[in-house]
Amino acid sequence: MDNFGQLMAGFATALQPEYLLYAFFGVVVGTAVGVLPGIGPAMTVALLLPITYTLDPTAALIVFAGIYYGGMYGGSTTSILLNTPGESASIVTALEGNKMAKKGRGAAALATAAIGSFIAASVATVGLTLVAPILARWAVTLGPPDYFALMIVAFTTVGALMGKSVSRGMLSLGLGLFLGLVGTEVLTGQQRFTGGVPVLADGIDVVLIAVGLFAVGESLYVASRLKSGPVALIPVTKGWRNWMSKEDWALSWRPWLRGTAIGFPIGTIPAGGADVATFLSYAAEKRLAKKDRKAAFGKGAIEGVAGPESANNAAAAGVLVPLLTLGLPTTATAAIILSAFQSYGIQPGPLLFQNQSALVWALIASLYIGNIMLLVLNLPLVGIWVKVLQVPRPYLYSGILLFAALGAFAMNFNYLDVLILLVVGLVGFLMRRFGYPVAPMVIGGILGPMAETQLRKALAISQGDLSALVTSPFAAVAYVSLVAFLALGLFLKHRQLRMESEPVDADEVSAP
Amino acid sequence: MTSPQSGSSGASAPGEPHSVSESNSGRRTPIGEYLFAALAAGIGIYVLIAANFIRIPISSNTLGPRSFPYLVGALLLCAGIAVFVGVRRGRLGEAEEGEDVDSSSETDWVTVGKLIAFFTAHAYLIQFIGWPLAAAVLFAGAAWSLGARRLRLAIPIALALGFTIYFLFGRLLGLSLPAGPLLDWIPFF
Repeated sequence: MDNFGQLMAGFATALQPEYLLYAFFGVVVGTAVGVLPGIGPAMTVALLLPITYTLDPTAALIVFAGIYYGGMYGGSTTSILLNTPGESASIVTALEGNKMAKKGRGAAALATAAIGSFIAASVATVGLTLVAPILARWAVTLGPPDYFALMIVAFTTVGALMGKSVSRGMLSLGLGLFLGLVGTEVLTGQQRFTGGVPVLADGIDVVLIAVGLFAVGESLYVASRLKSGPVALIPVTKGWRNWMSKEDWALSWRPWLRGTAIGFPIGTIPAGGADVATFLSYAAEKRLAKKDRKAAFGKGAIEGVAGPESANNAAAAGVLVPLLTLGLPTTATAAIILSAFQSYGIQPGPLLFQNQSALVWALIASLYIGNIMLLVLNLPLVGIWVKVLQVPRPYLYSGILLFAALGAFAMNFNYLDVLILLVVGLVGFLMRRFGYPVAPMVIGGILGPMAETQLRKALAISQGDLSALVTSPFAAVAYVSLVAFLALGLFLKHRQLRMESEPVDADEVSAP
Repeated sequence: MTSPQSGSSGASAPGEPHSVSESNSGRRTPIGEYLFAALAAGIGIYVLIAANFIRIPISSNTLGPRSFPYLVGALLLCAGIAVFVGVRRGRLGEAEEGEDVDSSSETDWVTVGKLIAFFTAHAYLIQFIGWPLAAAVLFAGAAWSLGARRLRLAIPIALALGFTIYFLFGRLLGLSLPAGPLLDWIPFF
């Protein structure tokens, strides 16, 4: 049970030239796609799934780790250099970072985001290394009622906290659960909701749900209201060596650490993912700022980029803790990663660290390696990412659609999958159009069947006694903390909404 | 029938500042909002009814294959009704924002329709003209729908992209996409 030794063995695997190349490939592709406007981390991971279909599991997961972290880095570049905020997790970064860029301090914003992300992800990966094995060892003792309780917690928090209203989140969750029902049910082999269509008998693959909702849905939505005219990019000054002044460093290092401390724990609990973490970090920095700096918030404060950006990446690593140890995805991105694991016949969960320990540790080691690659890559290569941002929009969204179709087709080489993808995408389009969050639907789609299996197992053991669901100590604790999560989460979200509406007003005033 | 607060989420007039309160200021009934919520509730009802027809095998133990669908159906029905009531009370959904989204413009259904058509065509065409050409159809068609200015540029790009992906995936990743009857006779494919 020497975790350090196993981690070193993981490094030995991940440092082989072949796997290093895979990590590099994943990092570059992840960043390049993550930089593309309108593409958040979840969509990056979903779109790039097909390139891992034919790799061996270790290589595939290493590529995946690179894509996951790379997508996070890429997203912040986009929000700093483009005029409007994009994906929600980096919306706070966009607030201050975009203002900084407009003042000609874009380079400093990018640098503090990149270095902060590096520090946060490194520290959080150490956290993952330390916490995950302990959690996994303990999680082995959990039974079906406990897992069912965990999933109920995940459903409720995700449904209630993602998006702007509880009922809309729940509706999105319900649609995902419904898609999860379609197909042949595992325990007794009955076909459900297939309408006798053979292609539906195997169920709707989660990849189809994720790619459809994110890639196709987003493309259709953007297409319906595409901005015309040239892309408004903020130019970045050359010379990355003197990007950050001494003062910038002095202002940044504390927010980096605070952001990490806020992000990692929030990432590990099912509380709405990185959104909450970035917002909390921003609020903390604003409150802790000294008097003369407080005035800078809303006008391009570097602390407002450094903190939230670190929190964002620390949370991304934190999300891997419940994913690897419990098999519980708490964000849409995690749900897609889970389905990628499953496509290799690997079931994340407490047994993962025992049965596939070489693979897991190689994955964790490659997270460290990918992170260093990202820091080295990002600062000097910003010029290239800026070029990527300028891809003409018609070609960009056509490319996204094409890649989405490829991903669906390459799963089984069946054109009907492409049509299912389109239908799911259409739903995703309507959901965006009418203000429904799509993440709960993805999570419902993947967790639904797992929750049903656990529920039925639990009741089979207890011979139909429903009280067995709550009498296990862990399940009872889970249900009680669910209430606490919800109360705290809804309170935080309320504040977040209020805060998000404030700077918008400030923007209107300061606009010429 | 119309509630005083009702308005269409995406239909705020051009140039109007976009904020939470202001997006409710349109005067039209948000038909789409009602329809989507009703559709979800309808799926809920369908699930509740159709669940009764799932065969329960004799071997099944305490909780059969019907119970979970009942829960899902109930959730969908309740959430659909809740959103519907919310919309009646003026709580409209906020259309998502994004880097390339012009929040002041109305939904352009024609473009969406064109994209759906090309996507469907792509799916059906794979078996007849092969993946690379079908991919070119999707890319060029989508680029044209989205307003790419020069078709003379879009079509070569589409063809190049289709064949590049085909060879990259076939050679490097070992994922052989079908070349289709049109190209299969060329030994290269």
